[in-house]
Amino acid sequence: MKISLKWLQDYVDVSEFFAKPQELSNLLTSAGLEVEGVENLAKAFDKVVVGHILEKGQHPDADRLSLCQVATGSGIVHQIVCGAQNHKQNDRVVVALPGAVLPGNFEIKLAKVRGVESGGMLCSEKELGLKAESEGIFILPEAAPIGKPFAEYMGFDDVVFDIKVTPNRSDCLSHFGLAREIAAILGRPCELKLDTLTEGGGSTREMVKLTVPSTDLCPRYCGRGVRGVKVGPSPDWMKKRLEAVGLNAINNVVDVTNYVMLELGQPLHAFDVREIKGGKLSVDRSKAGETFTTLDGTEIKLSGTELTIRDGERAVALAGIVGGKNSGIQDDTQDIFIEAAYFTPVAVRQTARKFGIETDSSYRFARGTNPDAVALAMNRAAVLIQKVAGGNICGEHYDNYPDPVKRTAIEIALSTLTERLGYPVDRDQFATWMERLGCLVEEKKTGNDVVWHITPPSFRQDLHLDVDLVEEFGRLNGYQNIPETLPPTGMMPTDHDPQYIFEVRLRRLFQAQGLLQAINYAFISSKFQERVLGSYEKLAGFGLRAIHQPVTLMNPLTEELNVMRTSLVPSLLKSVQHNSRHGNAVGRLFELGFVFDGKRGGGATEGNSYLQEWHGAMAIWGEQTDLWQKKSSAALVYELKTALENILKSLGITKFSWSQPTDAQSVPDFLHPGQCAQLIAEGKPIGFIGTLHPVLQDELKIRETVALSEINLDRLMQGQPRSPKAKSPSNFPAVERDIALQMPKNLPAADVETTIRKSGGDLLQEVRVFDVFEGGNVPTGQRSVAFRLIFQDLKGTLEDAQVNSLRDQVVKAVTEKFPVSVR
Amino acid sequence: MLKEKLEDVRREALAAVQKAEDTQNLYESVKVQFLGKQGRFSALMKEMGKLSADERPVFGKLVNEVKDAIEQAYAARENELKNKELTSKLSNETLDLTLPSPTHALGAQHPISMVIDEITNILIRLGYSVRTGPLIEQDRYNFESLNIPKDHPARDMQDTFYIDERHVLRTHTSPIQAHVLESEKPPLRIIGVGPVFRCDSDVSHSPNFHQIEGMYVDRKVSMADLKGTIAYFVREFFGKSLKTRFRPSFFPFTEPSAEVDCQCPLCTGRGCSMCKQSGWVEIGGSGLINPNVLKVAGVNYPEWQGFAFGFGIERMGIIKYGVEHIGLYNQNDVRFLRQFSV
Repeated sequence: MKISLKWLQDYVDVSEFFAKPQELSNLLTSAGLEVEGVENLAKAFDKVVVGHILEKGQHPDADRLSLCQVATGSGIVHQIVCGAQNHKQNDRVVVALPGAVLPGNFEIKLAKVRGVESGGMLCSEKELGLKAESEGIFILPEAAPIGKPFAEYMGFDDVVFDIKVTPNRSDCLSHFGLAREIAAILGRPCELKLDTLTEGGGSTREMVKLTVPSTDLCPRYCGRGVRGVKVGPSPDWMKKRLEAVGLNAINNVVDVTNYVMLELGQPLHAFDVREIKGGKLSVDRSKAGETFTTLDGTEIKLSGTELTIRDGERAVALAGIVGGKNSGIQDDTQDIFIEAAYFTPVAVRQTARKFGIETDSSYRFARGTNPDAVALAMNRAAVLIQKVAGGNICGEHYDNYPDPVKRTAIEIALSTLTERLGYPVDRDQFATWMERLGCLVEEKKTGNDVVWHITPPSFRQDLHLDVDLVEEFGRLNGYQNIPETLPPTGMMPTDHDPQYIFEVRLRRLFQAQGLLQAINYAFISSKFQERVLGSYEKLAGFGLRAIHQPVTLMNPLTEELNVMRTSLVPSLLKSVQHNSRHGNAVGRLFELGFVFDGKRGGGATEGNSYLQEWHGAMAIWGEQTDLWQKKSSAALVYELKTALENILKSLGITKFSWSQPTDAQSVPDFLHPGQCAQLIAEGKPIGFIGTLHPVLQDELKIRETVALSEINLDRLMQGQPRSPKAKSPSNFPAVERDIALQMPKNLPAADVETTIRKSGGDLLQEVRVFDVFEGGNVPTGQRSVAFRLIFQDLKGTLEDAQVNSLRDQVVKAVTEKFPVSVR
Repeated sequence: MLKEKLEDVRREALAAVQKAEDTQNLYESVKVQFLGKQGRFSALMKEMGKLSADERPVFGKLVNEVKDAIEQAYAARENELKNKELTSKLSNETLDLTLPSPTHALGAQHPISMVIDEITNILIRLGYSVRTGPLIEQDRYNFESLNIPKDHPARDMQDTFYIDERHVLRTHTSPIQAHVLESEKPPLRIIGVGPVFRCDSDVSHSPNFHQIEGMYVDRKVSMADLKGTIAYFVREFFGKSLKTRFRPSFFPFTEPSAEVDCQCPLCTGRGCSMCKQSGWVEIGGSGLINPNVLKVAGVNYPEWQGFAFGFGIERMGIIKYGVEHIGLYNQNDVRFLRQFSV
């Protein structure tokens, strides 16, 4: 919220801060009212002055540019090129001279424009930051003194603070409110000087008949008429104040309602009495299905629950949010009815949110206004309207407040203050601060402890608990006075969440495999996700949850981020795309993250949470070796196989196998049908490795072949962590036997290897593939795969005969089981 | 006669020793020719039978002298040639070790993970342990249990992604606290960590970022304990000499509440572009747990009290590792990520 220092000066003496605005800024920030910006208007227009166009000519090389000779009172004539058309000789204009910095950090420099020197700029209102839009340059009245600094000419001698008011401090959403806070901090008096109100316009009750059926949503409603106003522009002093804090001036009546809101924090509304049908107003819920058009022309449909202000026929205002187009102040309005009310925060907030309308009024009501200040604000507005728009103020005003809000006292002990803040609190100091805040302070009993009953003022609706007062004292006394101590130890430590422990471990294992950790958003474009994943059922075969229904966001930021991920692959592919596009021809990425399922049993009832499954994924592309060295002969995807096997072994999982789908139809659509394998660990499918389908690679414009893997970490985590079980290695020599087998190309080598292991007996320690060969004397459709069998005994040296018989046993088993022959 | 032959052998053998250019040649021209079974010495020895019994010992002695002399010369030459050959072999085998070695890719953890590990490791020393929670959270845990009822203006502080009427993408890690307060018994020292979501995206805001927070519940807990804990954390994480500052603020789930600033680690408080010349950087929020939060979770207040504090992880990385802007965290550009292999 923007606060004008000049305006504050009306209520509390802040004169010393005009020269040192930063000091007030620090004071407020350290009291919990964070100052986000300070705008020193006088300083903002340094080197911007009133100028006089002595001569307006044509730029020699540009039809649309004029060349002006401008005097600024210094005796020097400035030659300035200007693109606008609306100025003429003798005009008074605003000149930004070289060195001036206009809003938006736009620095004016001596420059050449199309070959002609230009020593400054003639400014528009937009360029000066005075208006959001403007046509042409700003022409000043003839009386504007040439050479006068623009800020001085405009009366910009104010400092404007932009303050971030936290939701609890609605009492500071006005100039008087903030002045009150500053006065409390500084221990100065704060005064609101009010002109006396003279009633002379007849009876408000005769002007409008008011009823308030919905007192639950509107505990207090005040209204007062003013007859015979003359609507027109506001006086300059009021316009300037409104504009200084970012409000546009509209007309004198509307400006007063805004002015009083900014002054006292109480939003007001003014109705044109002519438009109040039947001369009746009621504060009541809307009629279901009726339409209402707001002041700015937005049409909304009401449901019967919203609080409205209604005349004899229709809604004329959405209570506390926005007035109706049908009853606002017109240029020829004469009689007005001023509304000041206390609407409950919840009612205003619900309606404002439902229709997405946030106004200065709804913002304040939703945070809670002061019910005790309603009548004061109404009367202040009536007096000001009379002052700036004439007319006569009506008597017999309304003040419907059947059940006045009572403030209850908060009990707080000195010992509580000391305990919570962690330092000894001084009894008198506490009482002093509470009094400065406007609280009623009663000291109840003394003894070992002091107990107070503190009744906060009606404008402090945020103070309910003793800890609220602890904070009030703490912040006013200064948070810098809180010492630094460490809580005692001696508490029994608890275990970490096992998922966290496993995550830390996995990250290190993936890192050890040479992969870089990627982190993507948990949401993605539904379109892209569907395009990449294709038929989701196929993932189920790999031990990953087949997610039929992604979780959809009700209010996504963009359609590019509208559903939760059902797999980590699509967003990792986005990362690969980014890298490929930026010339990163080699990359090794992994990601750990959650995927979500939108389909849940039993509907969206409380406690029935959406299922999240924890996944790990890898995406790698490009050849690792340096150019001068030999490239690897194995396809890229084998690298992922190695990585996963190493990780499994690091987790103490030694029983795992790979199976390759024989039916291309069962391979997920995004993978190469011939380069995809399923990982089975300890009997359960865990995930897959595969090569990105070349069609998709092409479509994503990724230059390099990409290998992908995704695994189910919830499954992998079962039984973790495991301790190593140590076995002593054999001290006797190992004996090798090689078997080369000719086999059909489509017979998976792993199947043969499994049979070799099974048939080789306990002495067979290791089986390795050491050669794979096609062509030559191997018939088409066949290949030769050579296995090396390593036998070793713990108890003694193996005899040749014994090993040969084991070898024969293995050959017999494989040749019987598969269509293979020994070469 | 025989003696002359012996002298010839000596002269020729020694000449051959000197003439040999490499060990192979030396072996063939000396060892084989003179000293071997078929060599000239063997032949001479056979001729010794022709000598008289008196001459034989004299000649034998002479033969041995000559043989020793040749063998010594041979050994010396052999050693010399071996050295020469080794030198040449080593010289030929010289590699340019400044050429790039075969690449074995170095992995890295994401800077966000690094910040998480650094922070948890500090807090673990104070007895804290880590908890996690669901990312799609019930409204009850994300808001209501944390003293943020429906239609409360505090909800405006956090732009929320809704999944349905009762579920949101958690807007902070504080629902982890709410779960722990319900399911575990005090005293507690807990770290909650993970991704969070806000419906907000610009140069300095990501819709999906990360938070870490600590919660302490015990019989007597004060703002001084909170400040001391955070000050310890700041010194360990950012630098031993850096000071911590509290500023009053508002969070619905804490009372009193404080924003936490630490002296800017880049300029150690002197003022720089990171801290916008103020000497301080904002690192998070904190406060004593609001009694309403404890009561809702069934924790008996004021018997049990607590404090909580939370930090934005991306921001910590920006301050500590110099990550220039938040967008870099999710691009997953390998040139960026490779820097975090430490």
